[in-house]
Amino acid sequence: MAATLIHRKIDWTGIAFAAVLTLVIVFPLLVVGTWAFTNVWRYPSVIPQEFGLRFWNQTLARADVWSSISMSLTLAFTVTALSAAICLPAAYAFARLDFPGRNLLFFSFLAGHAFPKFGLLVAIAGIFLQLNLIGTFWGVVLIQLVGTLLFMIWIPVAAFQSVDRRMEEAARDVGASPFRVFWSITLPQAGPTIAAAILLSFVGTFYETEGAWLIGAPQVRTLPVLMISFINNQPVIQYGAVLSVLLWVPSFIALLFARRVVNSGSFARGFGG
Amino acid sequence: MTAPDQIGSVTPIRRRPYGLLLVATPVLLVLWLIIWPIISAIITTLWVKTPEGNAFSVETYRFFFSDGYSLSNLSMTLWTTGVCAILLLLVCLPIALYLRFSDTKVAAYVQGLAIFPMFVPSIILSFAFIRVLGPNGTVDLLFNAVGLPHIRSPYLTPWGPVIGLVWDNIPLTVLILLSGLGNVSNQAVEAARDVGAGRIALLWHIILPRLSNSILVAISFAVLGIFSAFTLPYILGPAAPEMMGPFMQRTFRDLYDPQTAITQAVVTFGFCIVFGLFYVRSVAKNRAA
Repeated sequence: MAATLIHRKIDWTGIAFAAVLTLVIVFPLLVVGTWAFTNVWRYPSVIPQEFGLRFWNQTLARADVWSSISMSLTLAFTVTALSAAICLPAAYAFARLDFPGRNLLFFSFLAGHAFPKFGLLVAIAGIFLQLNLIGTFWGVVLIQLVGTLLFMIWIPVAAFQSVDRRMEEAARDVGASPFRVFWSITLPQAGPTIAAAILLSFVGTFYETEGAWLIGAPQVRTLPVLMISFINNQPVIQYGAVLSVLLWVPSFIALLFARRVVNSGSFARGFGG
Repeated sequence: MTAPDQIGSVTPIRRRPYGLLLVATPVLLVLWLIIWPIISAIITTLWVKTPEGNAFSVETYRFFFSDGYSLSNLSMTLWTTGVCAILLLLVCLPIALYLRFSDTKVAAYVQGLAIFPMFVPSIILSFAFIRVLGPNGTVDLLFNAVGLPHIRSPYLTPWGPVIGLVWDNIPLTVLILLSGLGNVSNQAVEAARDVGAGRIALLWHIILPRLSNSILVAISFAVLGIFSAFTLPYILGPAAPEMMGPFMQRTFRDLYDPQTAITQAVVTFGFCIVFGLFYVRSVAKNRAA
């Protein structure tokens, strides 16, 4: 009886937190969403005078929007593919092979996290200046690639280590080749976590603004960099709002697929929690 | 607890040096694009051109610490970082405590909301901030509708970056604190309650001592992110004084003065080194466990 009474008690603390967080976190984004589907919204009207899609047509008709979308996607695909190609074999080696300096090299990927990020970017930009990589596509690829290393090695290492070794050995005992064991046993078990790491790397690269701005501008203009110039010099509010909605698409996809990984305790522990 | 120099055992058939080949490329990238730039930054700011050729000199640092504008940017950065760290604790600790001790549907919704900003890029957040709190923004509209006076907008004041950076850092701070609260056993809490401990005593004597390390990790992580933040201070902050991130970017790209910009970067390294080493040590320790 007491238990049911406690169970039925209204969670006022939770409701207060939910109300405040909804106001602070969801409300500002709803405002941006509203602006994106508004043709006319003049002060002091609390609701827009006219809803519509006029500014979607105008925004999507701009050449700079399309070129920055394709630049962002090209960069994100290039960086993620390179990152997977060099990090996944390394992650497998860290998880399964023994070699000199294994632990030291594994923890070396933390080095970049001991320093404030933008300071490190400026130090790298100093090196790129001497190599003529400032303002080039490959300069931005390199700087964004470095940002993905830790995630793309640590998460897959944990995934490979959690594969049931006895199943692999059993498959080998009945005559499966090493490749067949990897393809049929290792990959299906480690795959979902690795896929989440790849997705997070892709999204992280897509939104990476600071390296792209410092190393790439003005020749390499990604969608977030274009958004900065819209915020600073674009009087038409709807352009920024439409761009924000477009920009949020990859993040929304990540939200749907990577939420499980983010909510897991191991994710927080990966950040030192 | 495993020692921090272990990452789990392997059952090697034999020590295979070709593992080194597989890890060579990412390790070389770390050496070339993280370790070397840091060493190079320190060398190029201390080994400078003088009329007698290259020589050791602390001139670039002497200039930074005697230049009023650089110092005001540094002090604004310190102020912003300090205020953000305190606000983050005040906001995230209650949320984490609530989430740790409740399992209602409302709690699941609150956790979803607290993590949500992780999936909102800073640039969209900046735009949303301006639309809501900027001049003639939504708050102004609503105040005007109910007959209240205009607010003084935090946009382009030092409070702009503070609000944006706190918003941006809520998810990971909550996750790190929540992970730390996993060390507080229900039995310890029940036992303290049984002997009549109130909420404050419970927090002070049972929870905080077990959470202190996680609080330090969360603060270190936030400080490292905030001290040289660029996007939010650049868009939401005042033009002068500015935080170190926009200051370094302007010095490097607009004033074409890489050496001064790299000096500013090394100064940020110096201010953050304690937090950085502590943070990395904690992550390594957790990973090893």
